[in-house]
Amino acid sequence: MSETKQSMLTITKLSKYYGKNHVLKKVNLNVKKGEVVCIIGPSGSGKSTFLRCINLLERPSSGSIFYQDNDVLDGKWKTNEYRQHVGMVFQGYYLFPFKKVIDNITMAPRTLKNKNKAEAEVEALELLKKVGLADKDDVYPASLSGGQKQRVAIARALAMHPELLLFDEPTSALDPELVGEVLRVMKGLAEEGMTMVVVTHEMGFAREVANRVIFMEGGYIVEEGAPEEIFGNPKNERTREFLARVL
Amino acid sequence: MDLKWSEAIDGLGPSLLQGVVVVLQATIISFILAALVGLLIAMCRLSKWKVIRGVFVVFVEIIRGTPLLVQLFYIYYVVPLLLNHLLASGGTQPNIQFTALSAGIAGMTINYGAYISEVFRSAILSIDTGQKESGLALGFTQLQVLRKIVIPQALRNSIPVLGNYLVMMIKDTSLLAVISVSELLLRTQTYASQTFQTIESYTILAVVYLILSLPLAHIMKMIEKKFHVEN
Repeated sequence: MSETKQSMLTITKLSKYYGKNHVLKKVNLNVKKGEVVCIIGPSGSGKSTFLRCINLLERPSSGSIFYQDNDVLDGKWKTNEYRQHVGMVFQGYYLFPFKKVIDNITMAPRTLKNKNKAEAEVEALELLKKVGLADKDDVYPASLSGGQKQRVAIARALAMHPELLLFDEPTSALDPELVGEVLRVMKGLAEEGMTMVVVTHEMGFAREVANRVIFMEGGYIVEEGAPEEIFGNPKNERTREFLARVL
Repeated sequence: MDLKWSEAIDGLGPSLLQGVVVVLQATIISFILAALVGLLIAMCRLSKWKVIRGVFVVFVEIIRGTPLLVQLFYIYYVVPLLLNHLLASGGTQPNIQFTALSAGIAGMTINYGAYISEVFRSAILSIDTGQKESGLALGFTQLQVLRKIVIPQALRNSIPVLGNYLVMMIKDTSLLAVISVSELLLRTQTYASQTFQTIESYTILAVVYLILSLPLAHIMKMIEKKFHVEN
Protein backbone atom coordinates (compact mmCIF):
# COMPACT_ATOMS: atom_id res chain seq x y z
CA MET A 1 0.00 0.00 0.00
CA SER A 2 2.76 2.45 0.89
CA GLU A 3 4.14 1.80 -2.59
CA THR A 4 1.02 3.34 -4.15
CA LYS A 5 1.17 6.32 -1.83
CA GLN A 6 4.51 7.49 -3.13
CA SER A 7 3.74 6.99 -6.73
CA MET A 8 1.97 9.41 -8.96
CA LEU A 9 0.85 6.91 -11.55
CA THR A 10 0.42 3.18 -11.15
CA ILE A 11 -0.57 1.13 -14.14
CA THR A 12 -1.23 -2.56 -13.74
CA LYS A 13 -1.74 -5.23 -16.41
CA LEU A 14 -2.88 -2.76 -19.02
CA SER A 15 -4.04 -4.39 -22.24
CA LYS A 16 -5.39 -2.89 -25.40
CA TYR A 17 -6.99 -4.68 -28.30
CA TYR A 18 -8.04 -3.24 -31.63
CA GLY A 19 -10.43 -5.94 -32.72
CA LYS A 20 -8.28 -9.06 -32.58
CA ASN A 21 -5.07 -7.08 -32.74
CA HIS A 22 -3.45 -7.21 -29.31
CA VAL A 23 -1.34 -4.02 -29.13
CA LEU A 24 -0.62 -3.81 -25.42
CA LYS A 25 -0.04 -6.93 -23.40
CA LYS A 26 -0.47 -6.57 -19.64
CA VAL A 27 1.88 -3.64 -19.28
CA ASN A 28 2.83 -2.38 -15.83
CA LEU A 29 4.27 1.01 -15.02
CA ASN A 30 4.90 2.95 -11.88
CA VAL A 31 5.88 6.61 -12.07
CA LYS A 32 6.95 8.50 -8.98
CA LYS A 33 6.64 12.20 -8.48
CA GLY A 34 9.48 14.08 -10.16
CA GLU A 35 10.54 11.09 -12.21
CA VAL A 36 11.32 11.24 -15.92
CA VAL A 37 10.51 7.99 -17.71
CA CYS A 38 11.50 7.56 -21.35
CA ILE A 39 9.85 4.88 -23.45
CA ILE A 40 11.85 3.69 -26.43
CA GLY A 41 11.28 0.97 -28.96
CA PRO A 42 10.68 0.27 -32.65
CA SER A 43 7.63 1.71 -34.38
CA GLY A 44 4.57 -0.45 -33.89
CA SER A 45 5.79 -1.56 -30.50
CA GLY A 46 2.77 -0.06 -28.75
CA LYS A 47 4.59 2.75 -26.99
CA SER A 48 2.41 5.57 -28.35
CA THR A 49 -0.75 3.56 -27.70
CA PHE A 50 0.47 2.99 -24.16
CA LEU A 51 1.05 6.71 -23.65
CA ARG A 52 -2.38 7.54 -25.09
CA CYS A 53 -3.95 5.04 -22.71
CA ILE A 54 -2.52 6.95 -19.77
CA ASN A 55 -4.74 9.99 -20.39
CA LEU A 56 -7.49 7.85 -21.89
CA LEU A 57 -7.27 9.13 -25.44
CA GLU A 58 -7.32 5.39 -25.99
CA ARG A 59 -9.60 3.39 -23.74
CA PRO A 60 -7.68 0.43 -22.29
CA SER A 61 -9.33 -2.95 -22.86
CA SER A 62 -8.37 -4.21 -19.41
CA GLY A 63 -6.08 -3.45 -16.52
CA SER A 64 -6.05 -0.56 -14.08
CA ILE A 65 -4.71 2.97 -13.92
CA PHE A 66 -4.35 4.69 -10.58
CA TYR A 67 -3.47 8.37 -10.55
CA GLN A 68 -2.50 9.62 -7.09
CA ASP A 69 -4.57 6.85 -5.54
CA ASN A 70 -7.62 7.55 -7.66
CA ASP A 71 -8.92 4.83 -9.91
CA VAL A 72 -9.05 6.53 -13.27
CA LEU A 73 -11.11 3.82 -14.93
CA ASP A 74 -13.88 3.33 -12.38
CA GLY A 75 -15.97 6.12 -13.84
CA LYS A 76 -16.25 8.12 -10.62
CA TRP A 77 -13.72 10.66 -11.75
CA LYS A 78 -14.76 12.46 -14.91
CA THR A 79 -12.25 11.84 -17.69
CA ASN A 80 -12.00 15.50 -18.63
CA GLU A 81 -11.24 16.48 -15.03
CA TYR A 82 -8.57 13.80 -14.77
CA ARG A 83 -6.99 15.06 -17.99
CA GLN A 84 -6.67 18.54 -16.49
CA HIS A 85 -4.00 17.06 -14.23
CA VAL A 86 -2.14 15.26 -16.99
CA GLY A 87 -0.81 17.37 -19.85
CA MET A 88 0.11 16.01 -23.23
CA VAL A 89 2.38 17.15 -26.04
CA PHE A 90 1.88 15.55 -29.44
CA GLN A 91 4.16 14.80 -32.34
CA GLY A 92 2.03 17.00 -34.61
CA TYR A 93 1.82 19.98 -32.15
CA TYR A 94 -1.88 20.57 -32.94
CA LEU A 95 -1.92 24.22 -32.02
CA PHE A 96 -5.27 25.87 -32.75
CA PRO A 97 -4.57 27.61 -36.07
CA PHE A 98 -7.36 30.21 -35.74
CA LYS A 99 -6.05 31.55 -32.46
CA LYS A 100 -2.99 33.63 -31.78
CA VAL A 101 -0.21 32.04 -29.76
CA ILE A 102 -1.27 33.79 -26.56
CA ASP A 103 -4.89 32.67 -26.97
CA ASN A 104 -3.76 29.11 -27.65
CA ILE A 105 -2.17 29.19 -24.22
CA THR A 106 -4.88 31.02 -22.29
CA MET A 107 -7.88 29.22 -23.76
CA ALA A 108 -7.83 26.19 -21.45
CA PRO A 109 -7.14 27.99 -18.15
CA ARG A 110 -9.69 30.69 -18.96
CA THR A 111 -12.38 28.17 -19.82
CA LEU A 112 -11.60 25.35 -17.43
CA LYS A 113 -10.11 27.18 -14.46
CA ASN A 114 -12.14 30.36 -14.76
CA LYS A 115 -9.06 32.55 -14.85
CA ASN A 116 -9.71 36.07 -16.02
CA LYS A 117 -8.13 37.24 -19.25
CA ALA A 118 -5.46 39.51 -17.74
CA GLU A 119 -4.33 36.97 -15.19
CA ALA A 120 -4.17 34.17 -17.75
CA GLU A 121 -2.23 36.37 -20.17
CA VAL A 122 0.37 37.37 -17.61
CA GLU A 123 0.98 33.72 -16.93
CA ALA A 124 1.00 32.83 -20.62
CA LEU A 125 3.69 35.44 -21.27
CA GLU A 126 5.79 33.97 -18.48
CA LEU A 127 5.41 30.54 -20.00
CA LEU A 128 6.37 31.86 -23.41
CA LYS A 129 9.47 33.38 -21.88
CA LYS A 130 10.26 30.06 -20.30
CA VAL A 131 10.13 28.25 -23.66
CA GLY A 132 12.15 31.04 -25.28
CA LEU A 133 9.36 32.63 -27.32
CA ALA A 134 8.65 35.81 -25.37
CA ASP A 135 8.12 37.85 -28.53
CA LYS A 136 5.73 35.45 -30.28
CA ASP A 137 2.58 36.01 -28.25
CA ASP A 138 0.79 38.07 -30.88
CA VAL A 139 1.32 35.90 -33.97
CA TYR A 140 -0.65 33.02 -35.45
CA PRO A 141 0.84 29.51 -35.27
CA ALA A 142 1.21 29.37 -39.07
CA SER A 143 4.09 31.84 -38.91
CA LEU A 144 6.10 29.68 -36.50
CA SER A 145 8.68 27.00 -37.29
CA GLY A 146 8.05 23.43 -36.15
CA GLY A 147 10.32 23.80 -33.16
CA GLN A 148 8.58 27.02 -32.14
CA LYS A 149 5.16 25.41 -32.54
CA GLN A 150 6.18 22.53 -30.33
CA ARG A 151 7.48 24.90 -27.68
CA VAL A 152 4.17 26.79 -27.76
CA ALA A 153 2.41 23.43 -27.41
CA ILE A 154 4.50 22.76 -24.31
CA ALA A 155 3.60 26.18 -22.90
CA ARG A 156 -0.07 25.50 -23.67
CA ALA A 157 0.08 22.24 -21.73
CA LEU A 158 1.91 23.91 -18.82
CA ALA A 159 -0.75 26.60 -18.54
CA MET A 160 -3.07 24.04 -16.95
CA HIS A 161 -0.44 23.35 -14.24
CA PRO A 162 -0.33 19.63 -14.91
CA GLU A 163 1.35 17.39 -12.35
CA LEU A 164 2.32 14.91 -15.04
CA LEU A 165 3.31 15.63 -18.63
CA LEU A 166 3.10 13.09 -21.42
CA PHE A 167 5.20 13.56 -24.56
CA ASP A 168 4.35 11.54 -27.65
CA GLU A 169 7.44 11.67 -29.88
CA PRO A 170 7.63 15.45 -29.51
CA THR A 171 10.56 15.88 -31.89
CA SER A 172 9.84 13.26 -34.53
CA ALA A 173 8.15 15.70 -36.92
CA LEU A 174 10.90 18.31 -36.64
CA ASP A 175 13.74 19.19 -38.94
CA PRO A 176 16.97 17.93 -37.34
CA GLU A 177 18.27 21.41 -36.58
CA LEU A 178 15.10 22.24 -34.60
CA VAL A 179 15.15 19.20 -32.34
CA GLY A 180 17.64 20.69 -29.90
CA GLU A 181 15.55 23.71 -28.92
CA VAL A 182 12.59 21.49 -27.95
CA LEU A 183 14.73 19.01 -26.05
CA ARG A 184 16.36 21.87 -24.13
CA VAL A 185 12.95 23.05 -22.95
CA MET A 186 12.03 19.52 -21.92
CA LYS A 187 15.30 19.12 -20.08
CA GLY A 188 14.63 22.37 -18.26
CA LEU A 189 11.25 21.04 -17.13
CA ALA A 190 12.83 17.82 -15.92
CA GLU A 191 15.35 19.79 -13.90
CA GLU A 192 12.53 21.75 -12.28
CA GLY A 193 11.11 18.46 -11.08
CA MET A 194 8.27 17.98 -13.54
CA THR A 195 7.09 14.39 -13.71
CA MET A 196 7.29 13.26 -17.33
CA VAL A 197 6.64 10.20 -19.45
CA VAL A 198 8.32 10.62 -22.81
CA VAL A 199 7.95 8.40 -25.84
CA THR A 200 10.98 9.26 -27.92
CA HIS A 201 13.47 8.25 -30.55
CA GLU A 202 16.04 10.66 -29.11
CA MET A 203 18.39 8.24 -27.41
CA GLY A 204 20.71 11.03 -26.35
CA PHE A 205 17.87 12.72 -24.48
CA ALA A 206 16.76 9.46 -22.86
CA ARG A 207 20.29 8.68 -21.73
CA GLU A 208 20.89 12.16 -20.37
CA VAL A 209 17.56 13.18 -18.85
CA ALA A 210 15.62 10.02 -17.97
CA ASN A 211 15.65 8.49 -14.51
CA ARG A 212 14.34 5.33 -16.04
CA VAL A 213 14.23 3.97 -19.59
CA ILE A 214 11.65 1.46 -20.78
CA PHE A 215 12.20 -0.59 -23.90
CA MET A 216 8.97 -1.79 -25.52
CA GLU A 217 8.48 -4.21 -28.34
CA GLY A 218 5.48 -6.12 -29.65
CA GLY A 219 3.18 -4.69 -26.97
CA TYR A 220 5.41 -5.83 -24.09
CA ILE A 221 7.79 -3.99 -21.83
CA VAL A 222 10.87 -5.99 -22.69
CA GLU A 223 13.30 -4.29 -20.36
CA GLU A 224 13.41 -1.35 -18.02
CA GLY A 225 16.06 0.21 -15.91
CA ALA A 226 18.31 3.19 -15.31
CA PRO A 227 19.61 4.71 -18.56
CA GLU A 228 23.16 3.62 -17.88
CA GLU A 229 21.94 0.02 -17.57
CA ILE A 230 19.75 0.06 -20.67
CA PHE A 231 22.25 1.87 -22.87
CA GLY A 232 25.44 0.61 -21.23
CA ASN A 233 24.63 -2.97 -20.46
CA PRO A 234 21.29 -4.10 -21.90
CA LYS A 235 20.38 -7.56 -20.64
CA ASN A 236 17.82 -8.54 -23.20
CA GLU A 237 18.76 -9.66 -26.68
CA ARG A 238 15.93 -7.63 -28.25
CA THR A 239 17.07 -4.46 -26.51
CA ARG A 240 20.61 -5.00 -27.71
CA GLU A 241 19.46 -5.50 -31.29
CA PHE A 242 17.31 -2.39 -31.21
CA LEU A 243 20.01 -0.20 -29.73
CA ALA A 244 22.56 -1.54 -32.20
CA ARG A 245 20.25 -0.38 -35.00
CA VAL A 246 19.50 3.09 -33.68
CA LEU A 247 22.73 4.14 -32.03
CA MET B 1 -36.95 49.59 -82.84
CA ASP B 2 -38.29 52.30 -80.63
CA LEU B 3 -37.10 51.65 -77.08
CA LYS B 4 -38.41 53.84 -74.27
CA TRP B 5 -35.59 53.48 -71.74
CA SER B 6 -36.22 56.59 -69.68
CA GLU B 7 -39.93 55.90 -69.52
CA ALA B 8 -39.28 52.33 -68.41
CA ILE B 9 -36.79 53.44 -65.77
CA ASP B 10 -39.21 56.06 -64.44
CA GLY B 11 -42.12 53.68 -64.51
CA LEU B 12 -40.49 50.48 -63.24
CA GLY B 13 -37.72 51.98 -61.09
CA PRO B 14 -39.65 52.88 -57.93
CA SER B 15 -41.42 49.55 -57.92
CA LEU B 16 -38.13 47.69 -58.33
CA LEU B 17 -36.65 49.63 -55.42
CA GLN B 18 -39.43 48.28 -53.23
CA GLY B 19 -38.73 44.87 -54.73
CA VAL B 20 -35.07 45.16 -53.76
CA VAL B 21 -36.14 45.63 -50.14
CA VAL B 22 -38.20 42.45 -50.35
CA VAL B 23 -35.34 40.56 -51.99
CA LEU B 24 -32.83 41.67 -49.36
CA GLN B 25 -35.25 40.83 -46.57
CA ALA B 26 -35.91 37.36 -47.95
CA THR B 27 -32.25 36.70 -48.65
CA ILE B 28 -30.84 37.90 -45.36
CA ILE B 29 -33.43 36.21 -43.17
CA SER B 30 -33.34 32.95 -45.17
CA PHE B 31 -29.56 32.89 -45.21
CA ILE B 32 -29.19 33.33 -41.46
CA LEU B 33 -31.88 30.75 -40.74
CA ALA B 34 -30.47 28.36 -43.35
CA ALA B 35 -27.01 28.61 -41.78
CA LEU B 36 -28.48 27.78 -38.35
CA VAL B 37 -30.62 24.96 -39.75
CA GLY B 38 -27.61 23.71 -41.68
CA LEU B 39 -25.42 23.63 -38.58
CA LEU B 40 -28.15 21.85 -36.63
CA ILE B 41 -28.65 19.23 -39.34
CA ALA B 42 -24.89 18.76 -39.64
CA MET B 43 -24.65 18.10 -35.90
CA CYS B 44 -27.56 15.68 -36.03
CA ARG B 45 -25.96 13.84 -38.92
CA LEU B 46 -22.78 13.47 -36.86
CA SER B 47 -24.75 12.29 -33.84
CA LYS B 48 -23.87 8.99 -32.25
CA TRP B 49 -27.51 7.92 -32.39
CA LYS B 50 -28.28 6.02 -35.56
CA VAL B 51 -31.96 6.99 -35.64
CA ILE B 52 -31.22 10.71 -35.60
CA ARG B 53 -28.59 10.30 -38.30
CA GLY B 54 -31.00 8.26 -40.40
CA VAL B 55 -33.85 10.75 -40.12
CA PHE B 56 -31.69 13.59 -41.32
CA VAL B 57 -30.05 11.62 -44.11
CA VAL B 58 -33.54 10.99 -45.50
CA PHE B 59 -34.57 14.60 -44.94
CA VAL B 60 -31.53 16.01 -46.74
CA GLU B 61 -31.98 13.59 -49.64
CA ILE B 62 -35.64 14.53 -50.04
CA ILE B 63 -34.82 18.23 -50.09
CA ARG B 64 -31.88 17.84 -52.44
CA GLY B 65 -33.82 15.53 -54.71
CA THR B 66 -36.73 17.92 -55.32
CA PRO B 67 -36.65 21.36 -56.95
CA LEU B 68 -36.90 24.48 -54.80
CA LEU B 69 -39.75 25.59 -57.02
CA VAL B 70 -41.80 22.52 -56.09
CA GLN B 71 -40.91 22.95 -52.42
CA LEU B 72 -42.19 26.53 -52.53
CA PHE B 73 -45.53 25.44 -53.98
CA TYR B 74 -45.72 22.69 -51.42
CA ILE B 75 -45.09 24.94 -48.44
CA TYR B 76 -47.37 27.72 -49.67
CA TYR B 77 -50.33 25.63 -50.85
CA VAL B 78 -50.08 22.11 -49.43
CA VAL B 79 -48.74 22.55 -45.91
CA PRO B 80 -51.56 24.89 -44.77
CA LEU B 81 -54.14 22.44 -46.13
CA LEU B 82 -52.52 19.57 -44.29
CA LEU B 83 -52.26 21.56 -41.07
CA ASN B 84 -55.87 22.65 -41.23
CA HIS B 85 -56.91 19.09 -41.86
CA LEU B 86 -54.82 17.70 -39.03
CA LEU B 87 -55.83 20.35 -36.52
CA ALA B 88 -59.52 20.16 -37.34
CA SER B 89 -61.31 18.71 -34.34
CA GLY B 90 -64.94 18.68 -33.37
CA GLY B 91 -66.71 21.53 -35.05
CA THR B 92 -63.77 23.92 -35.17
CA GLN B 93 -62.10 24.38 -38.50
CA PRO B 94 -58.79 26.24 -38.19
CA ASN B 95 -57.78 28.49 -41.00
CA ILE B 96 -54.01 28.50 -41.11
CA GLN B 97 -52.42 30.39 -43.96
CA PHE B 98 -48.92 31.57 -44.64
CA THR B 99 -48.12 34.90 -46.15
CA ALA B 100 -46.31 34.44 -49.45
CA LEU B 101 -43.12 35.98 -48.08
CA SER B 102 -42.98 33.79 -44.97
CA ALA B 103 -43.66 30.67 -47.04
CA GLY B 104 -40.89 31.78 -49.37
CA ILE B 105 -38.48 32.34 -46.51
CA ALA B 106 -39.39 28.96 -45.04
CA GLY B 107 -38.80 27.24 -48.38
CA MET B 108 -35.45 28.88 -48.99
CA THR B 109 -34.40 28.21 -45.39
CA ILE B 110 -35.16 24.51 -45.63
CA ASN B 111 -33.73 24.10 -49.12
CA TYR B 112 -30.51 25.98 -48.49
CA GLY B 113 -30.30 24.58 -44.96
CA ALA B 114 -30.08 21.08 -46.44
CA TYR B 115 -27.29 22.06 -48.80
CA ILE B 116 -25.43 24.08 -46.18
CA SER B 117 -25.63 21.15 -43.75
CA GLU B 118 -23.53 19.14 -46.19
CA VAL B 119 -20.98 21.95 -46.31
CA PHE B 120 -20.75 22.10 -42.53
CA ARG B 121 -20.73 18.33 -42.17
CA SER B 122 -17.78 17.83 -44.46
CA ALA B 123 -16.00 20.85 -42.94
CA ILE B 124 -16.42 19.39 -39.45
CA LEU B 125 -15.23 15.98 -40.63
CA SER B 126 -12.19 17.52 -42.28
CA ILE B 127 -10.83 18.95 -39.03
CA ASP B 128 -7.77 16.93 -38.00
CA THR B 129 -8.46 14.47 -35.16
CA GLY B 130 -5.28 15.83 -33.58
CA GLN B 131 -7.11 19.12 -33.02
CA LYS B 132 -9.81 17.30 -31.06
CA GLU B 133 -7.34 15.17 -29.16
CA SER B 134 -5.21 18.12 -28.14
CA GLY B 135 -8.37 19.81 -26.84
CA LEU B 136 -9.41 16.70 -24.96
CA ALA B 137 -5.90 16.32 -23.54
CA LEU B 138 -6.13 19.84 -22.11
CA GLY B 139 -9.22 18.75 -20.22
CA PHE B 140 -12.03 20.07 -22.39
CA THR B 141 -15.18 17.98 -22.62
CA GLN B 142 -16.27 16.56 -25.97
CA LEU B 143 -18.88 19.31 -26.24
CA GLN B 144 -16.38 22.07 -25.45
CA VAL B 145 -13.98 20.66 -28.03
CA LEU B 146 -16.76 20.75 -30.60
CA ARG B 147 -17.87 24.27 -29.70
CA LYS B 148 -14.54 25.94 -29.14
CA ILE B 149 -12.14 24.10 -31.41
CA VAL B 150 -13.87 22.13 -34.14
CA ILE B 151 -16.83 24.31 -35.12
CA PRO B 152 -14.92 27.62 -35.26
CA GLN B 153 -12.46 26.05 -37.69
CA ALA B 154 -15.19 24.32 -39.68
CA LEU B 155 -17.12 27.59 -40.02
CA ARG B 156 -14.04 29.44 -41.22
CA ASN B 157 -13.34 26.76 -43.78
CA SER B 158 -16.95 26.97 -44.97
CA ILE B 159 -16.96 30.70 -45.66
CA PRO B 160 -16.05 30.51 -49.38
CA VAL B 161 -18.87 28.05 -50.12
CA LEU B 162 -21.33 29.94 -47.94
CA GLY B 163 -20.48 33.07 -49.91
CA ASN B 164 -21.41 31.31 -53.13
CA TYR B 165 -24.68 30.14 -51.62
CA LEU B 166 -25.51 33.67 -50.51
CA VAL B 167 -25.10 34.99 -54.05
CA MET B 168 -27.11 32.08 -55.44
CA MET B 169 -29.79 32.78 -52.88
CA ILE B 170 -30.21 36.40 -53.94
CA LYS B 171 -30.82 35.21 -57.49
CA ASP B 172 -33.09 32.36 -56.37
CA THR B 173 -35.45 34.82 -54.72
CA SER B 174 -36.78 35.29 -58.25
CA LEU B 175 -38.47 31.91 -57.78
CA LEU B 176 -40.64 33.44 -55.09
CA ALA B 177 -42.57 35.18 -57.87
CA VAL B 178 -44.45 31.94 -58.46
CA ILE B 179 -46.01 32.08 -55.02
CA SER B 180 -46.83 35.75 -55.51
CA VAL B 181 -44.12 37.38 -53.43
CA SER B 182 -43.80 40.81 -54.97
CA GLU B 183 -40.11 40.60 -55.57
CA LEU B 184 -38.29 41.88 -58.64
CA LEU B 185 -39.43 39.40 -61.29
CA LEU B 186 -43.11 39.62 -60.46
CA ARG B 187 -43.00 43.43 -60.46
CA THR B 188 -41.20 43.44 -63.81
CA GLN B 189 -43.66 40.97 -65.31
CA THR B 190 -46.57 43.08 -64.23
CA TYR B 191 -45.05 46.26 -65.60
CA ALA B 192 -44.00 44.66 -68.89
CA SER B 193 -47.38 43.16 -69.55
CA GLN B 194 -49.08 46.47 -68.96
CA THR B 195 -46.74 48.63 -71.04
CA PHE B 196 -45.33 46.16 -73.57
CA GLN B 197 -41.88 47.57 -72.80
CA THR B 198 -40.66 43.99 -72.68
CA ILE B 199 -37.05 44.51 -73.76
CA GLU B 200 -36.55 47.50 -71.48
CA SER B 201 -38.19 45.94 -68.45
CA TYR B 202 -36.35 42.65 -68.45
CA THR B 203 -33.03 44.30 -69.29
CA ILE B 204 -33.45 46.62 -66.33
CA LEU B 205 -34.33 43.62 -64.18
CA ALA B 206 -31.16 41.78 -65.20
CA VAL B 207 -29.07 44.86 -64.47
CA VAL B 208 -30.62 45.21 -61.02
CA TYR B 209 -29.72 41.59 -60.21
CA LEU B 210 -26.18 42.24 -61.40
CA ILE B 211 -25.94 45.35 -59.24
CA LEU B 212 -27.05 43.28 -56.27
CA SER B 213 -24.94 40.19 -56.78
CA LEU B 214 -21.61 41.51 -58.08
CA PRO B 215 -20.72 43.67 -55.06
CA LEU B 216 -21.95 40.90 -52.78
CA ALA B 217 -19.60 38.41 -54.38
CA HIS B 218 -16.82 40.93 -53.91
CA ILE B 219 -17.69 41.51 -50.26
CA MET B 220 -17.73 37.76 -49.65
CA LYS B 221 -14.23 37.50 -51.14
CA MET B 222 -13.05 40.13 -48.68
CA ILE B 223 -14.66 38.35 -45.73
CA GLU B 224 -13.12 35.12 -46.93
CA LYS B 225 -9.69 36.71 -46.93
CA LYS B 226 -10.15 38.20 -43.50
CA PHE B 227 -11.08 34.90 -41.90
CA HIS B 228 -8.68 32.74 -43.80
CA VAL B 229 -6.22 31.03 -41.50
CA GLU B 230 -3.30 29.03 -42.65
CA ASN B 231 -2.76 25.70 -41.07
